[in-house]
Amino acid sequence: MIGEYQQPIPLARAQAAAPVRVTGPWQRGSSDPARRARSVAPLLALFALLGSLMAGNPLRAQESARATPMRRLHGELRDSASGAALRGAAIVITGPISRRSQTDASGHFEFAQLPSGPYILRVRLIGFAPLERVVNVTNGDATVRLTLRSATISLDSVVVTTDALADPLSRVAATSTVDAAELSATRGQTLGETIKLLPGVSVVQFGPSIAKPVIRGLNSQRVLVMNAGLRQEDQQWGTEHAPNIDSFDADRVIVVRGAATVLYGPDAIGGVVRVEHDPVPDGGSAKGELSLNGFTNSRQGALSLGLQGGGLQLPRLGQTGYRLRFSSRVAGNGAAPDYSLSNTGFRELNGSATFGVHRPWGTSELMISHFSTELGVLRQAHVGNFDDLQRSLTAAPPDSSFSYGIDRPNQRVQHTTLRVRSAFVLPRAGELEVVFGSQANHRREYDNHGPLRVRGIAAFNLKLFTNSLDVRWNHGLQHGFVGTIGTSAMLQGNQTLGKAFLIPGFDLSQAAVYAQEAYSIGRLTLNAGARTDVFSQTTLPYADAGIRSEAGTRRWTGFSGSLGSELRLTDALSASLRVARAWRPPTVNERYAQGVHHGTAQYELGRASLAPERSAGVEGVLRYSSERSMFEVAGYANNINGFIFLQPRAPVLTIRGAFPAYNYDQTNARLSGIELSGMLAPSHWLRIQGTANAVRGTDRTNGGPLFDMPADRATIQVRVLGSRPRLGRWYVALGSVLVQQQGGVPAGTVYQLPTAGYALASFDVGSANIVIGGHQIDLGLSATNLLNARYRDYLSRYRLFVNDAGRDLILRLRIPM
Amino acid sequence: MHLPYASRAPLALTALALLLASCKGDSVVAPGGETEVISRVTLTLTPTTGAAISAYIEDADGSGPNAPSAQVGTLTMPAGTAFTGAVRFENRLVTPVENITDEVRTEASTHRVFYSVTGTGVTVNSTDLDGNGRPLGLAFTATAPTGTTAGTRTVRVVLCHYDGVTKPAVATACSADTDIDVSFTVAVP
Repeated sequence: MIGEYQQPIPLARAQAAAPVRVTGPWQRGSSDPARRARSVAPLLALFALLGSLMAGNPLRAQESARATPMRRLHGELRDSASGAALRGAAIVITGPISRRSQTDASGHFEFAQLPSGPYILRVRLIGFAPLERVVNVTNGDATVRLTLRSATISLDSVVVTTDALADPLSRVAATSTVDAAELSATRGQTLGETIKLLPGVSVVQFGPSIAKPVIRGLNSQRVLVMNAGLRQEDQQWGTEHAPNIDSFDADRVIVVRGAATVLYGPDAIGGVVRVEHDPVPDGGSAKGELSLNGFTNSRQGALSLGLQGGGLQLPRLGQTGYRLRFSSRVAGNGAAPDYSLSNTGFRELNGSATFGVHRPWGTSELMISHFSTELGVLRQAHVGNFDDLQRSLTAAPPDSSFSYGIDRPNQRVQHTTLRVRSAFVLPRAGELEVVFGSQANHRREYDNHGPLRVRGIAAFNLKLFTNSLDVRWNHGLQHGFVGTIGTSAMLQGNQTLGKAFLIPGFDLSQAAVYAQEAYSIGRLTLNAGARTDVFSQTTLPYADAGIRSEAGTRRWTGFSGSLGSELRLTDALSASLRVARAWRPPTVNERYAQGVHHGTAQYELGRASLAPERSAGVEGVLRYSSERSMFEVAGYANNINGFIFLQPRAPVLTIRGAFPAYNYDQTNARLSGIELSGMLAPSHWLRIQGTANAVRGTDRTNGGPLFDMPADRATIQVRVLGSRPRLGRWYVALGSVLVQQQGGVPAGTVYQLPTAGYALASFDVGSANIVIGGHQIDLGLSATNLLNARYRDYLSRYRLFVNDAGRDLILRLRIPM
Repeated sequence: MHLPYASRAPLALTALALLLASCKGDSVVAPGGETEVISRVTLTLTPTTGAAISAYIEDADGSGPNAPSAQVGTLTMPAGTAFTGAVRFENRLVTPVENITDEVRTEASTHRVFYSVTGTGVTVNSTDLDGNGRPLGLAFTATAPTGTTAGTRTVRVVLCHYDGVTKPAVATACSADTDIDVSFTVAVP
């Protein structure tokens, strides 16, 4: 895609064409461009410093910035057949800077204050063929009239696509996006559930309430979750610690498979899940939205209320956009086909407020969000010692009755985030993105051991505070290069306050510099990135006797790098190849865990002297996309030396009896796999799509399998769709998930029993923009595990004890107001 | 709009400093929290005449990875004797030492101590009941009838915690959470 603007713009020509003074209707208020330029001078100085590394003379950059011509690009979008204005289409421009917008009710869109230059404009709207066009905004403002053709292929289901915003990585790494329309099909479910059908993605699950993303066989501390540009820091090392993110509060989820450590840091060694939000509106009146969901399996109800507008007038700040969101989910015990899953309910209450300004100098957003959940842990999974575990494994699950009540053992988690994300326009030099985040995570886990009088005291009580600052220069097109140069810094403190020991308190500081650049030569795009990280981890001694948690500080420095290339063989077919080096220092739990894990009665022992793990991998992706079909195949092989894993050891004998025990140990591992996804639209009303994944994890020292690898899996869906005036854009879909037996299981663990293969069926029917009583609403009815199959997934951590959930009927209703 | 950020920098920096200061790590024990641990189990046998004998097994790191100690003290039951017995659970990792037996007695309806003997002859039977008239097991009788063959027997003591499940009226082994599982050696001379 980058091939279209392979020609570097001659700088001199661009300057000569620039008028000295710029006026236009897009300038709000009376602000004087010269004063604007002065007030961003400190930023420009910083830019100039960065720029001098890349482009040479800092002085010239500063001078040219003062005389910058700011352009406006506006246009309208219509249906090619009916001529009707198209509302809600996503418009993305990439060029000297990147922006994203939507068409309004009259089909209009506008980008003000653009540095002059050529832009690639992309339009996407469900039900229409995507459109891509080069627009030159070099010699003045530009007006474009666009029409979209109704498409046989619409994008309202899982589709592999490159990330449109300036993210050079997505051009060579395997990346999938779930957009707003696709998300609406899983509204009310956990973040893990919304992405688990993407190629290469699966979930580690603790019943209906905890779902943790797994990318190419790796999870937890090896998969980074980013929420609105901020690293989600929520004790993510624990497999039973689900991401503390409100799944309603996501407009887009982007999944990068494979090591993405250059842009995201060492914990992206397995991949990245990015939850993205639309910018707050820039103008316009208040609009609301109400979503209601009902689930029969756990009798879950979910509600989400949103309100946004652009016309808030604040003292001193002027016109401000805002978005308020509130959501709640309440569920009782889930149900397997023959019995209820005792104590698996949850209650979630979330809210967020975002305020933002769009100004000539750029945009800035302040977001405050609070996530709180209380969830139960399956009663049978919480056992006293090895004998109890054996008994729990062999006993039939007691048929518990349905209840909304949450009993011991349970978790209570609160996550509060403050985020300031600003993007400053750097005339003819892209944008400078600054993200400051402050997060407080409070996790309490209650067990059901011990005397009553301390029952109210959490067994594990962890408070994690994180402050982070990220500065990224997305420099647009500079001398033929498109890319990002950035720095990242994080300070973190963990407090261990519970009555039992899990991990020690610690202080962690981290800093990094990185650059990722892409360069196009004809149909070939080359991509390279490098990053250096410095970590300092100080652990604090625990006061209890018998716990060997000595104080100490360790520092690690590591280098990540990637090299990639994408070749556009034809307009429809492209191939890419990427090699990446990545590393990850050991986390505190890997170094100091000491105790019995909830849910498995397994005793885990950390090793303080663990060394960082280092990976070297290669991946290739072949993509084909035409009007009636789309196909992607990705293959990879990744060697991780010093792979940190749980090695079974002799049982730990305590006064409470014997426990199956594991040491954190290191080995040399290999992960390889293949991912297929495709879509075929033989007719405008019919679409067939499917995915297939296989992952192999091998311990190279003994040839044995690695623990926790997802079983081979394929999905297929047949969808019939259409559009009627009053019925809206309707669809009926029938799907199936086929999972093979996971035979590759390591010996010596309680998880060594393979799980059988299984097949699940699903059914969906619904319509977007259906007209009921004069209101346009979205209505959908889904059934998962339609045939109520009895099965146990290999990655279900309750699989030793109970079957996975049975049939679930889900009603989804969305009412715009 | 003008950008008065520079003038507000001190305020912003103060706020930032406060945020950074709030994020120091810490490792402390919750007040009264660590008493969950039982570190010593003591069996005391009192004959109808004569002095009581006792023995204990201790786990110096509680639920930590180090194995419990060997039995300290010997329990000798000559053939033809009967003893009344008592079990004592303590947390000796704190000062003062905590008597967990009292906790168990307070929560009698959700606890039971099971005694199982490996080898013939010696029998151990609990004698006390909880408030619902179900066996508790903090007190018991131990007998070695006349003619019991000489040798050692193993008495396994399991403290069972019925949390969220009803304690059965009749049971021979723990069917809920195991809080204690230790084995004493008893010698029949």
